[in-house]
Amino acid sequence: MRISDRISGVFLALLGLAAFWGGSRLPPVPGQQVGPSAFPMVVGAGLMIVGILIALHIGRSFEEQAEAELAKHRQPDPEAEAFQRRRRWFAFLPPALMVAYYLLSERVGFVPVAAVMIAILAFALNAKRQLILPVSIFGALGIHLVFVKLLRVPLPPGPLPMPW
Amino acid sequence: MSSSFLAAFPLVFTQDVMIAMIASAIYGMVVGALPGLTATMATALLVPVTFYLSPIAAIATIITSSAMAIFAGDIPGCLVRIPGTPASAAYTDEAYKMTLKGQAETALGICLWFSALGGIVGTIALLLIAPALAEVALSFSTFEYFWLAILGLMCSTLVARSSPVKAIAAMLLGLLVSCIGIENPAGTPRFTFGSTDLLGGIDAIAALVGVFALAEVMRALTQKDPPAIPDRKLGSILKGQIALTKRYPKQQIRGNIVGTLIGALPGAGADMAAWVSYSLSKRFSKEREKFGTGHPEGLVEAGASNNAALAGGWIPALLFGIPGDTITAIAIGVLYMKGLNPGPTLFTEKASSMYALYIIFLLANLLMIPLGIAMIRMSKHVLKAPRSLIMPVIMVFCAVGAFSAAGNNLYAVLIVAFFGIAGYLMEENGFPVAAMVLGIVMGTMVEQNFVTSLIKSDGSILPFLSRPIAAGLAFLTFIALFWPLIAWLRRYKASLDAASPAR
Repeated sequence: MRISDRISGVFLALLGLAAFWGGSRLPPVPGQQVGPSAFPMVVGAGLMIVGILIALHIGRSFEEQAEAELAKHRQPDPEAEAFQRRRRWFAFLPPALMVAYYLLSERVGFVPVAAVMIAILAFALNAKRQLILPVSIFGALGIHLVFVKLLRVPLPPGPLPMPW
Repeated sequence: MSSSFLAAFPLVFTQDVMIAMIASAIYGMVVGALPGLTATMATALLVPVTFYLSPIAAIATIITSSAMAIFAGDIPGCLVRIPGTPASAAYTDEAYKMTLKGQAETALGICLWFSALGGIVGTIALLLIAPALAEVALSFSTFEYFWLAILGLMCSTLVARSSPVKAIAAMLLGLLVSCIGIENPAGTPRFTFGSTDLLGGIDAIAALVGVFALAEVMRALTQKDPPAIPDRKLGSILKGQIALTKRYPKQQIRGNIVGTLIGALPGAGADMAAWVSYSLSKRFSKEREKFGTGHPEGLVEAGASNNAALAGGWIPALLFGIPGDTITAIAIGVLYMKGLNPGPTLFTEKASSMYALYIIFLLANLLMIPLGIAMIRMSKHVLKAPRSLIMPVIMVFCAVGAFSAAGNNLYAVLIVAFFGIAGYLMEENGFPVAAMVLGIVMGTMVEQNFVTSLIKSDGSILPFLSRPIAAGLAFLTFIALFWPLIAWLRRYKASLDAASPAR
């Protein structure tokens, strides 16, 4: 998903400004000139500068050169590009499912949440319908078995007790 | 030296290390061979497993799986013209052209044979260079470490195949991320916004899982399924490789050296090494016109290079805690966790562990040949595994792996989601994620040396430049900073000269 350099540059510059300002407000260490504020202020100032440079399209020629080199190694595939454009919002499904895991796994338990996550993503990736159910159930059970039994990671059990 | 060398053998040849190596070799082969799953992702997802292994076994899994993955990435490149890992992308066309000419065995054989040789030469370079550099590094003070870290960060922005300005932005973002938490010279909560989860800072492993694993899963959703692998009978894989070794000795050695050096440069890893070596091979070849038509020469050089880069990446990682590539960026975290803190003293105090590491590297590259042949033979079946079912399982691994790597903190899952989005958007828009990752991993080290040096010098800048080694490193840093400007000016002048012919 392409974001214009103007937007990303301005965003970075504002982030830099926020870091600089936030850093400058940190309490100093008594009796010392440099404290916790020095580093964030330096980084923030740097971000402001590069943000403005990016918004002004400086350095764009290097990117074009690299893209041209890469294009030489790839044959154009308009069908794949159209697919990519059509599906660009689908890319945010995995992080959304991760947030759902964060919110639900303690209450519902690892296995049901993981199984539903696998099923949803497999469906979005056009997996064979008859395979989705077995893979999501056995996948979730398998990961639970490995992490809880072998690696002793306390995954949230939820109301459903596991046989192991 | 000899006593610690002998002491290393019993460390390596134990049951748990051997089992760990074989299991991680198979894992690395499969992950590397599947398009869309990278060697770095293989390493990131291994971290939770390394918690439960002995220090040597933990390092063995990372070394073995990454070496295997870099080789195995060549297999789908040869057979279906899709690189299994980005490190194979440079010569995928060439390898596939050889397959079309009916030389699939030779192409796969070159990838396997020269990968193993490259890995072994890279290991020897690591064995010779690292201890020698450690002697020099013992005399470094915070001033030198500060410049060294900055130089490493600048390198990572120079080697990115993108705009240097965007690369610097990515690096600064990484440094900003490392500011979060109370781990700073004064122990003040910084940018925590009152959240107790942020007090401990952003867990680097969780962030790396997001950037390298979840972002790949996200990318898979916007890409079509790779084409099915055609059925092809393969003959002897290693036939003719000795002849090729004798025919292209210069190319192989050049590939090894360039690969090791690029691997040692912070932020540049196996993929960069392969691109540079392939183009070097073409530039110096006597048969340049044959490149791109299925000619083995470039394949030899680039194949020798990308596996040598893996070992090269460990040189700055072990010596200074500066990752040479994205794989060692993860490995450094594991080294700290296992009490093998990077630094020049590692080579004196933990010498036997270092020898064990070299032995593991050599073993892994020897193991690559038989396992690689087996993998090539089975690739038809492995590559049939549907991406639509693998990616969802990997997503759950991301959640569980980060959770356990961050000390069983559910908050890590949110970090994975956040950095997945960040990594995906950055990669799409030409911001190199490797530069950000280096910033995250090295941020604390840069700040500590920066602040300690400033306190020592009473706020004066002069001591940063008055020590000879520090001054030299500072000079190199400024060259790295202004190099893009020089390159641009030269190009601009050339285009002006071309536009206005001689008066």
